[in-house]
Amino acid sequence: MIHSTTKNSRYGFNKGLTPDKVSLLIGLFLLLLLPLLARHNDYILQVFTHALLLATLALAWNILGLSGSISLGHAAFFGSGAYASALLSLNLGLSLWITIPLAGFIATGLGFIMGLICMRLRGAYFALATLAFIEIPRVITDNWDEVTRGSLGLVGLPGFPSLNLGPWHIDFYSSFTASYYIVFIYFLLLLGVVGFIFRSNLGLALQAIREEEIASQAVGIHADSLRLFSMLLSAFFTGISGACYAHLVRYINPGLVYGLHFSAIPMIFAICGGRFTIIGPALAALIIYPLDQFIFHPLIPAGHEFLYGVVLILAVLFLPAGFWGNLRRTTS
Amino acid sequence: MWTTVLVSGISMGSFYILIALGFALIFGVTRYFNLAHGELVVLAGYVAYWLWKVYALSFVLTFPVAILVLFLICLGIKRLFSRLSEPLELNSIVLSFGMAIVIQNSMLFLFSGHYRLIRIPSLNKGFQFHGIYMSYSQFTLLLLSLIVIFLLYILMYRTYLGKALRATIQDKEAAALSGINVTIMGTFAFCLGAVLIGLAGPLYGCTHYLYPSTGHEVTLLAITITIFAGVGRLSGIILAGWILGLAESFTVILCGSSWREMVTAVLLLILLTFKPYGILGNEER
Repeated sequence: MIHSTTKNSRYGFNKGLTPDKVSLLIGLFLLLLLPLLARHNDYILQVFTHALLLATLALAWNILGLSGSISLGHAAFFGSGAYASALLSLNLGLSLWITIPLAGFIATGLGFIMGLICMRLRGAYFALATLAFIEIPRVITDNWDEVTRGSLGLVGLPGFPSLNLGPWHIDFYSSFTASYYIVFIYFLLLLGVVGFIFRSNLGLALQAIREEEIASQAVGIHADSLRLFSMLLSAFFTGISGACYAHLVRYINPGLVYGLHFSAIPMIFAICGGRFTIIGPALAALIIYPLDQFIFHPLIPAGHEFLYGVVLILAVLFLPAGFWGNLRRTTS
Repeated sequence: MWTTVLVSGISMGSFYILIALGFALIFGVTRYFNLAHGELVVLAGYVAYWLWKVYALSFVLTFPVAILVLFLICLGIKRLFSRLSEPLELNSIVLSFGMAIVIQNSMLFLFSGHYRLIRIPSLNKGFQFHGIYMSYSQFTLLLLSLIVIFLLYILMYRTYLGKALRATIQDKEAAALSGINVTIMGTFAFCLGAVLIGLAGPLYGCTHYLYPSTGHEVTLLAITITIFAGVGRLSGIILAGWILGLAESFTVILCGSSWREMVTAVLLLILLTFKPYGILGNEER
């Protein structure tokens, strides 16, 4: 535990081109070129679009994860973001460029309520409270038939509108490449934000809270408000991911977007990749999800998700720092 | 009408007690949060369903088989848990969450996602007792749960083994110092938990629809009752189970059955707000 703190704080002072940064740049370059590499194959593109979206979920989860809390309730933010954007665009006809940020703020509001209830709790009890919290927005969405159409869900959601940039006409609606790039841009932005947070004073303070909360308070860190703040940030980006999901898949229902799946996925990726690293969670998403879709899904159509459980169990038992966290520890 | 609500609440509540006892026992003795508890109950239900449907085994005979299967699984789970590093409570949550996913998907693979129910026609009939109507399934749930609670009470409070288990629940280190083998007590708690789950599962299968993802609800139920009761208090668990059962049946009558699922979650959140450090009280965290 102490190791990773010193590593992370030292990380901020490494200005040169470290192996870390080189591999990060190569990875991003490959992702940028992916539509070229996967030419003529919509399936591969779709899988990687989804993988990038799940990577943003894991990155957003990890903002809260840095403070040492494990949340099992992020599906609440994901689902409310998805429903908020879907309902705003369907009923009010607002443009997606407005509804998606609004969805982020609505998820933040929900994060505030959850924070008020859960922030007094620590460790296992925090995790249990967040797990229980999902039920509240889910059951309300399920029962509020007039607005949300209940368990039937919402169909025919608007896709991303086409953009006219001078001579170029980008059609997000029908082109898988275009929707890949929009998620990729969001992913890059979020990666930048998470990288910034991790190296900023906020990140250092969150790590201090994680290592020793009472001592961190003694040196003047407002532990409770910072933990709440990291939760709000995490909720905001999870809500935006949820909204993106709604407009990419264009169908949502309460059981789907408030399902345990979207709580489990970011936690699994973050823990497997390395909870206290910047790119570990994203890397895990980009490896494990395609592995699931390309290999396990065709082999075992029903029940292929056991893979996620297995990798989580293996990570908890054998690689508590995650594979990226472990790799960095052994190489540097 | 209110007596019907009361009867169904109490009988459901008694069944919830049966479900929660295994969780509470395992948590009390070993301090592992077993988030796969609900999945294990559903798995036991599926085992019973399968034996009853495919091999046309009599329903009563499914109990010993379910218990045996759960026995083996619980011992395997215990081995995984014992490899965990600190902090135990949080890591056990993450580990058992992984196990829950694995069990859920294995059930999806083995039994498919269709809704299953063990239909026993004779249980659907009912009888009148002093003007109170009660169906046989409610009566069975109530009776069996009370018998199990009574037997567990005898075990915990009238035998030497029970004394050792209670000592381990109250203070692990002190128990170890006075010569109790805490590791064996942990194994024993898992075995006893397996018996309780193996009893609860088939009953669950004949009163609720079985499908792979339903276990989550059961887990939440067991957690809520355990946190309400506090560790090692059998009477607390009984009280919590009945309160939960009554709260659910009143919610169904007053607001409709679709709000039922929120009752457990809201109760758990209220509990945690007032007991922020959970079961141990506020001296430790």
